[in-house]
Amino acid sequence: MAATSTGVKPRRRRAFTKGDRLTLSLFVGVPTFLHLTWVWIPALATIGLSFTFWNGVQLSNIRWAGIANYNTIFTASPVFWDALRNNTYWLLWFTCIATPIGILLAYQIDRRIRGHKIYESIYYIPVVLSLAVIGIIWRFMLGPTGLVQVLLGYPGIEDAIPIFGNYQINTYVILTIASWRHIGYIMLLYLAGLKSVDPSLREAAAIDGATEWQAFRKVVFPSLKPVNTIIIVITVIESLRAFDLIYIIYGTSTGWPILGMLVFQNIYGQSASMLGAAYAVILLLLSITPIIFYLRTVFREDR
Amino acid sequence: MSETTNSVSRRTVLKGAALGGVGLVGAGTLLSSCGSDSSGPVTFTARTNVENELKIAQALADAYEAETGIPVTMQGSGDTNAFQDGISQYLQGTPDDAFQWMAGFRTNFRADQGLLVDLSENISALGNQIPEGFVSGATNPSDGKQYIIPTTWYPWGLHYRKSTMLELGLDPENIATWDDFMKLLEGTQKKGLIGYAMGDKGGWEAMGTFSIINVRLNGYDYHIDLLNGREKWTDQRTIDTFNQFALLIPYMNKNFLDISWDGMRDLLLAKKCGAMMMGSWWANEFKAKSQEDYDDLWIVPFPEINPAYGRDSIDAPVDGLCVASNSANSEGGAAFAQWCGSEEGMLAAQAAGDTNLYANTNLDTSDYDPFNKQKLAVIGEAKNVMNFLDRDCRNDFAGTIVGPAIQNFLRKPNDVNGIVDGMQAAWDALPALA
Repeated sequence: MAATSTGVKPRRRRAFTKGDRLTLSLFVGVPTFLHLTWVWIPALATIGLSFTFWNGVQLSNIRWAGIANYNTIFTASPVFWDALRNNTYWLLWFTCIATPIGILLAYQIDRRIRGHKIYESIYYIPVVLSLAVIGIIWRFMLGPTGLVQVLLGYPGIEDAIPIFGNYQINTYVILTIASWRHIGYIMLLYLAGLKSVDPSLREAAAIDGATEWQAFRKVVFPSLKPVNTIIIVITVIESLRAFDLIYIIYGTSTGWPILGMLVFQNIYGQSASMLGAAYAVILLLLSITPIIFYLRTVFREDR
Repeated sequence: MSETTNSVSRRTVLKGAALGGVGLVGAGTLLSSCGSDSSGPVTFTARTNVENELKIAQALADAYEAETGIPVTMQGSGDTNAFQDGISQYLQGTPDDAFQWMAGFRTNFRADQGLLVDLSENISALGNQIPEGFVSGATNPSDGKQYIIPTTWYPWGLHYRKSTMLELGLDPENIATWDDFMKLLEGTQKKGLIGYAMGDKGGWEAMGTFSIINVRLNGYDYHIDLLNGREKWTDQRTIDTFNQFALLIPYMNKNFLDISWDGMRDLLLAKKCGAMMMGSWWANEFKAKSQEDYDDLWIVPFPEINPAYGRDSIDAPVDGLCVASNSANSEGGAAFAQWCGSEEGMLAAQAAGDTNLYANTNLDTSDYDPFNKQKLAVIGEAKNVMNFLDRDCRNDFAGTIVGPAIQNFLRKPNDVNGIVDGMQAAWDALPALA
């Protein structure tokens, strides 16, 4: 937009014909309408419902609850703190392990190491699968009578080693499974960013005698600021909205609780309160912070 | 009496009506929206995803169509836990006309919300075919009406294979006390088998063991009062129940949180375990595998713990058919449900290989196979019949609190005090049922 501003503002105004205006208002109006209908009105309704007792069937049964649902969550639901802990583990694991590995892979592939095309495909394949499908794959592999159990020499149900129900290891197992996809996702995003880095910058750094690491840290990494922001936000959101993988593996039994699961269990379940709505509001507040941060950065880049 | 003649004459009329509609059979659900008279095609959800059970459900649908000319489209519910969790949403959407469901709280709560059709007329049309106990078990205490046609029932007890026990030289049929029971589990374990099979991944399977120990130790009244908030989870008697339960953990398979009820069943099928506490609804799977496997299966009541209560209580949940208010052809659904509860319906299920016990007085139990006779004996011995924990108790406590609490207990049996404190706090925070 900035490129065309050559001091002919009055003319540009007139350029919006009636048809243009109609098109524009349709292009802005329809998505806004859909967004309000499917995102914000339900979100506001959820916030309202979180202050009520209701079983979700007859509207006449709804009763004002004040902050009782929140009170229950914070004081009488140890599972909430377990879930918050698991979401935090998820976030830390993604931030400190999965995302850096994705960046490292992107960097290596961008350097065109031998066989980089093959690596790129291998790491990218899990990204085309949804987490639900990934859950099904790994549940079959790791569960009793699964391939991994057979390879480990425990083919029968009776001696299958506990994995998802083994609280010494299940956190690591789940986070590794989730990373299987996340690493490829980050790699792809970062690879796209790296392709846009002017190669002359690197050359200049090399001529100035910078090592590989110095060139990455001082030249390439800072020039990728927009991509870095997107990756940070995606990492945070992926960690908070985690649900499908856990639902596939554990069902609604909260074997490994996370916030998304508690929302589902308490709304979709069989409750007389609106505990699920209150969990959803807590999750909304936790997720909206990085989203605002993300949007602000994106719009600042555009300006 | 007049009702019976009524239904017969109606059936004859329907046969003629259905002839005209034969070409429309395949259209199923779409067409059933054409009207809510009972002559339209009926849709029916079987609460199972087990192939063999689906076959039995299909046989019921076929038999009904053969008898009345009314086409029935049967479909499975998919994962039963997910179907249970989503039932309120399902019933508010576009549910099938009739669906297999469970008596007790799970029915009555939805009936109170207006989601289920009142089937009292169908129950009275069946007259004394349905034993009195089942009618009262199917009655919603809040309005005295019935919203479920009881069909099958089964006892919860210790299941084992006769051949396995014979090989081990053990005699589960004659265990009188807890000590005998411990010796039995020890004996099985010594021979390299799992003493007490457990799979609690679903979060409800171990409720059966908790309930039976609680009624054995503290009595039926205490158990029911506890589930309805009239006794406290922090009570020493509840703690004693958990501690008694903890004595079984060393005899369990170590992967009890990785397998579900079907894993337990498979352990018994594969002769890898001694005893297993479960309801016997899956006996059909043994029969489907082979007649020898089915003949090998046996059930005995959970042993006595406290002589004051002996073996006077048992979990014997009743299953049946409900009809959704929101369905396209609820009248047709009700007629189908009634037929499933009648002698004809139950004979059709039996003919398809269903080994369940039926809630119908017309059926001759004298030619029951030995396993079914044993099931009847096990139930007959008990004075108090329970519906199973998650049907005797409000659902937003059983599913979200008791299930995870028992899973935590199995993992950390030394933390009983912390677990019961959490359960009581959760109960106290529940809103009143509206």
